[in-house]
Amino acid sequence: MKMENMSLSGLDNTKLEALAQDIYSDLVEDACLGLCFEVHRAVKQGYFFLDDTDQESMKDFEIVDQPGVDIFGQVYNQWKNKECVCPNCNRSIAASRFAPHLEKCLGMGRNSSRIANRRIASSNNTNNKSESDQEDNDDVNDNDWSYGSEKKAKKRKSDKNPNSPRRSKSLKHKNGELSSSVNTDPYKYNYNTGINYETLGPDELRSLLTTQCGVISEHTKKMCTRSQRCPQHTDQQRRAVRVFLLGLSATSLPDSNTAVESDGYDASDGQVLMSRLQWDGSSDISPSDSASSKASTNNSDSKKPKKKKKTSLNSTGGGGGGSGSVGGSSSQGCLAGQANRKKPKLPVPPAPSIYDNLN
Amino acid sequence: MNKDSQMRAAINQKLIEMGERERLKELLRAKLVECGWKDQMKAQCKDVIREKGLEHVTVEDLVVEITPKGRALVPDSVKKELLQRIRASLAQHSTL
Repeated sequence: MKMENMSLSGLDNTKLEALAQDIYSDLVEDACLGLCFEVHRAVKQGYFFLDDTDQESMKDFEIVDQPGVDIFGQVYNQWKNKECVCPNCNRSIAASRFAPHLEKCLGMGRNSSRIANRRIASSNNTNNKSESDQEDNDDVNDNDWSYGSEKKAKKRKSDKNPNSPRRSKSLKHKNGELSSSVNTDPYKYNYNTGINYETLGPDELRSLLTTQCGVISEHTKKMCTRSQRCPQHTDQQRRAVRVFLLGLSATSLPDSNTAVESDGYDASDGQVLMSRLQWDGSSDISPSDSASSKASTNNSDSKKPKKKKKTSLNSTGGGGGGSGSVGGSSSQGCLAGQANRKKPKLPVPPAPSIYDNLN
Repeated sequence: MNKDSQMRAAINQKLIEMGERERLKELLRAKLVECGWKDQMKAQCKDVIREKGLEHVTVEDLVVEITPKGRALVPDSVKKELLQRIRASLAQHSTL
């Protein structure tokens, strides 16, 4: 046998090829047979047809071959072009940007409060900067006593963020002069209906003004809450604020001297504050009057009330004694005090003047 | 003839012993599945089954129907490769 096997090499190619072919066909037949057994078993066991889909499903999930649509029939950028209206700010926002916008808009996101604070801070900074620049433009606004019409041109539109909650912010009046410039006529600033002193009654105003600096800041519309000696504002500014604020309430009084007096304000405070309002014969001090006329009268008077302002400030600074007096009787005392101060002499009050140092 | 048939039988046996035949068989099966021959044949089987009826189909029916088709549907590439492998193994074993 071995000899025969060894003779394989002696076989010619044709025979070798034939042999190979035979072996091959045997192998293929084996494969087919194996398949048949497999299928037959599947049929008999009942799982042969399981991997087929029924006809209905075949129709439902048929492959779609249309342009602009994927094989499932869905459009690719269906939501890209759609715009939604934000319920909070009523702006039209792209759909893909809607969620982040809503987060910032409602203030509920992680960084929304930070961004809002930053925005407010930057807008305040820009306001401060521009106001200081407007100091040089005092002359432009000297002749007008309007409620901000002059300043409208300089109003910074960029600060009006349409998304910010302060969209309805009132006009910024050019009160920066009041706080920044010393020599300008204090009554030439534009009175803005600021929230703070607008809501305060005359009593509150006077009480505030006797204790605080009270100079109205232009961009915040608030009165300076620092002491009477606050270095940011000058005496003239303080006087001007008091004149302005109390002058409004003094329109009802007949007596020019006591013009500023009104019912129910603290005698001491009123006394102090009224002392500055030594206007001869100008009972109504409405801000609508021309600034020039007021300026002339006010300038002359400004010197007098200046020192009296000291007294008022001194009295408040001197302790609670003066301020402790009751309103009723003190009003008369105020009159007396005013009568005294009406005199041209400018007595320095016993209490050390706060403004001595300033002057 | 006898000599040839004897020789063939001997060689076959040799192949089996060496395990070469088994390897060749697996190789062929893998290639047939790869090229899709098996799925084609299954589809043919379905036709036969539907023809004969699901309950009464026998192995013989399938074998008789499927084998000739199967032989014909084998791709040429698979056939060539397999023949090559067979020749190689024959040559390898001829020296033994």
